[in-house]
Amino acid sequence: MKPWAARLKRIGFLIISTLGGLLLWQLFTTYSKIPSFIFPKPAEVWARLITVINDGSLLYHTWVTLQEVILGLALGLTAAILTGYLLAKSRLVERVLSPYIVASQSIPIVAIAPLLVIWLGPGILSKILTSALIVFFPVLVNTIVGLRSVPSELYDLMRSLQASPWQRIVKLEIPAALPVFLGGLRIGATLAVIGAVVGEFVGADKGLGFLVNVGRGLYDTALVFVAVFTLVLLALGLYGTVVFLENHLLAWQKRNGD
Amino acid sequence: MKSMKRFFLTLLVVLLLSSCGGLTGSEQTSGELTHIRLPMGYIPNVQYAPFYAGVEEGFFAEEGLEIEFDYSYETDGVALVGANELQFSLVSGEQVPIARAEGLPIVYVMAWYGQYPIAVVAKSEQNINSPADLAGKSIALPGLFGANYVGLRALMGYAGLEEKDVILESVGFNQVEVLAADTSEVIVGYVANEPVQLTAQGYDVDLLLVSDYLELVSNGLITNQTTLVEDPELVRRMVSATLKSIQFAVENPDQAYQHCFKYIEGLEDADQEVQMEVMESSLALYQTDPYGYSNPQAWENMQEVLLEMGLMKEHINLSEAYTNDFIQ
Repeated sequence: MKPWAARLKRIGFLIISTLGGLLLWQLFTTYSKIPSFIFPKPAEVWARLITVINDGSLLYHTWVTLQEVILGLALGLTAAILTGYLLAKSRLVERVLSPYIVASQSIPIVAIAPLLVIWLGPGILSKILTSALIVFFPVLVNTIVGLRSVPSELYDLMRSLQASPWQRIVKLEIPAALPVFLGGLRIGATLAVIGAVVGEFVGADKGLGFLVNVGRGLYDTALVFVAVFTLVLLALGLYGTVVFLENHLLAWQKRNGD
Repeated sequence: MKSMKRFFLTLLVVLLLSSCGGLTGSEQTSGELTHIRLPMGYIPNVQYAPFYAGVEEGFFAEEGLEIEFDYSYETDGVALVGANELQFSLVSGEQVPIARAEGLPIVYVMAWYGQYPIAVVAKSEQNINSPADLAGKSIALPGLFGANYVGLRALMGYAGLEEKDVILESVGFNQVEVLAADTSEVIVGYVANEPVQLTAQGYDVDLLLVSDYLELVSNGLITNQTTLVEDPELVRRMVSATLKSIQFAVENPDQAYQHCFKYIEGLEDADQEVQMEVMESSLALYQTDPYGYSNPQAWENMQEVLLEMGLMKEHINLSEAYTNDFIQ
């Protein structure tokens, strides 16, 4: 099968599966007679979507959450990469910091989020930090695993070529650790959305988490669905971006593999 | 093979039956008591002392009721009652018109608090003596929803203030902490809770009670139209037992407080004086005349506030939203 035909087939399946899902949803809500405030019909969610697009509120709240997610991701990534590098390079640092890092992962983020609001105020900062905290661990682990998977003979090679520490990082460690690191980033990118929304649930007056709270407070379940679907799209978009980066950055690896 | 098939079929039927049973909030138990799962809208707290006392003193059992307390979100309780999955819930007054406007067939059958229980609280140095003094202040509240938001907007509306005239800060349920840390100048909270906690911590605070400026529908017991039509006797029994429980707690606050220990984990380690004061402040709110009565004017006022705030788009028929018929 030609590539374009295969792609067309994939898109066809996607459309059929989406329409089938919507049809099942419509049939279920129609025949089960579940009230709209418990489970709205697809048409009601669609109508609500159009309203919030037209009045600009969906774009506004999505933009707020996206800012929190991107800044949270940036902060979480930076902290995870720096700490991960230190931990991968020094057994001593690993022994000292590991208990704290592992213990911190057993604290549910929903328990910390209210404290962050008290410490940092109700603004965007507490949401960025919630997002960064949730991103930190998976990226950290993958950074360490990635760096430790660099074959020792390649280090020998770099030494024999008298590479500087900077050259060693740029020419060897980053490319070698990149596949595993990007695997962590895939998980981190979707978690960043969850982190920001948890922060917004605790206390916010804007963002998609706030929109969910408004919908719940007004028994406007269609609005809750709109906000949730937007969050899903946001997470899928971020995931897709990481996959795109992966394909782009790791193209050399695939070429070598062919 | 056949017996295996029969076994799985039986298992499936049993599971289906038991899951159907689990969905209903009211069911006959072996002791002929009607089981009621009651969403309270908040965490276990001494403000619910009348209910705890009512169960322990047997007022609910006398009416053939067995109460299971449910501490999930207030809006979930409203939705479940609206869908007739549950028969009763305790909710804030503003939830009833908002929910009815969205088509939830809930009906308010008994006032739990006589006065709207929300207050604006500030440290004394802020000099907040009237709603007009709120202009320009940073005001912390759990979020832009619920009783705190409605109460604040009602006070601001009284002084002709709009949202742009103040700085609203959504801080979750952390009002005490942000006021203590001076992160916000003013907070909004429940009369019987946040101000008591702050005073106990040594802060000198001033209060503006929403109820001093405008009478609004307060927290109360809701049911749904189906239950009202099909089983009004159940509603009468529930209201009657609740009113007896309130009466008991008002007349015997110490005993009512003792009953709380069984239901509130960690109460024994909390500051007993503060908790007792929270309960007594709550008891003061329960005492409507007669108990359980809700004022029609309060419903009119509430509807106007909600319309002004944009939380409702059009007027609803208030006579369908509440009744005082069961409090006699």
